Amino acid sequence: MARLSRTDTAPGHDVAAAGTIERDPGSYRDPGGFVYRRDGEILRQVGETLVGDWDRFVASGLAARLVEQGRLLPWTDAPLELAATADARRVLRPEPLDFISYPYEWTFGQLRDAALLTLDVQLEAMSAGWTLRDASAYNIQFRAGRPILIDLLSLEPLVDGAPWVAYRQFCEQFLAPLALIARRDIRLSRLLRADLDGIPLDLATRLLPRRSRLNFGLLSHLYLHAGAQSRHRDNEDEGAAARGARISASRLRALVTNLRSTIAGLHWAPAGTEWADYADNTSYTDHATTAKERLVRDLVTAAGGRLVWDLGANTGRYSRIAADVGRAVIAFDIDPAAAERNYRALSAEGRADILPLVMDLANPSPGLGWASRERRSLVDRANPDLTMSLALVHHLAISRNVPLELFIDLLADLAPSAIVEFVPKEDPMVRRLLAARRDVFPRYSLDGFREAARTRFRVEAESPIEDSGRTLFLLRR
Amino acid sequence: MLHPILAYIDPGSGSLIIQVVIASIIAIPVLFRAKVAQLSRAFRRSKDPAERTDGTPVKD
Repeated sequence: MARLSRTDTAPGHDVAAAGTIERDPGSYRDPGGFVYRRDGEILRQVGETLVGDWDRFVASGLAARLVEQGRLLPWTDAPLELAATADARRVLRPEPLDFISYPYEWTFGQLRDAALLTLDVQLEAMSAGWTLRDASAYNIQFRAGRPILIDLLSLEPLVDGAPWVAYRQFCEQFLAPLALIARRDIRLSRLLRADLDGIPLDLATRLLPRRSRLNFGLLSHLYLHAGAQSRHRDNEDEGAAARGARISASRLRALVTNLRSTIAGLHWAPAGTEWADYADNTSYTDHATTAKERLVRDLVTAAGGRLVWDLGANTGRYSRIAADVGRAVIAFDIDPAAAERNYRALSAEGRADILPLVMDLANPSPGLGWASRERRSLVDRANPDLTMSLALVHHLAISRNVPLELFIDLLADLAPSAIVEFVPKEDPMVRRLLAARRDVFPRYSLDGFREAARTRFRVEAESPIEDSGRTLFLLRR
Repeated sequence: MLHPILAYIDPGSGSLIIQVVIASIIAIPVLFRAKVAQLSRAFRRSKDPAERTDGTPVKD
């Protein structure tokens, strides 16, 4: 990544000589403040245009209140010498996050909770005379199981009579995808990956069932909104007319409250997709399940480290075992229904140490946005100490035709250690996968797997799972 | 009167105009309910307590 020039600004304080300063490639839209990494530490600097708002925001007590409510990411002040550029007026050190996830990786429930959080922040802010100046879903992250606003510079004083500038962004990034999932099809969540600014409202209204108009909230915030957008295509006259639009504080509150009840009224039941019933429908006997759980616990403990990625986590049975021995786990699954069930169960249990996400390992999140770096690929974000691939290898190797060597390559790129469950061809689940197709996988065997594993790892443990024919491996790079 | 909207994102002209319209529509039932409550209070007050038909004694 390019190193920032330190000679590009007007006279200011000295910026201490430092190792590398990398500006976050996803933080360029607002010139008033940006995030960067300095000597491995994540910092945010506040520039001239935003420093007044920032100081007032802190002084108002709203910032502290939002942090206390768990709605705004905590931060500490850092010395100005740590600035990236000489024109910085404040430097902030936000609490670090283990992993940055993106809206197109969230379950329906996560996107809905992130939307509700955004509106709750807006309602709280309006009560104190403040407003969100943007409502990007990318400003929300999941920390300790709950959504939280990470963009410390998102709030500005509410100008009396001014409409909400982030209304359009909120509808495109949150309401449109949630309505499409709830009213049409879970797979439409994939549109979020296609358009980082959210789903254009005219497209959303074309894809929604006609009866969606009968819902007052959807009629207003999507259909009428889309109609207004096409009637008022931006030109100078329209811009002037829009700047004259005035709305009283009480009506603005009514609008946001209505938006909130519209979002809260959208539901999606996780049923009928691929793996939703899978955990209850495996080939394991009770004895084998107990044996596998014990082995997984032992191997996770032996592997050490703090961050674990559970690949093909389903509803998170083994993620919980890893979390129970003190690991912070991300539970990836291709099936939005399984991930959603996991998220709901974790929320109900109040667990903070497991983050479910939707991910197809055969087509993981790519680099997206400006220069393909604004939103980073999954592999680029990889930082776990350990991956777990339990009852996964046959789905990739047989259903998706991924050679074992390529699977091992991915694991070695992701983390220094891996726990892998090998499922042989004799296993009933594999027989089922092979039932309707030609067996073109002569190398898919325990010996073949061991050989593939040794191309990138050494085998530290190899333990047959009693009563099942399957084998658990602990691999070290 | 114009007031400055200095958004760094594009708020969209249509999005600014329509939220004023939608907020006004949302406000109607709120106003309506307030009016109904006001009228019903006024009506109850105007009604002579002696005309009550349920036979309960009127306390004054």
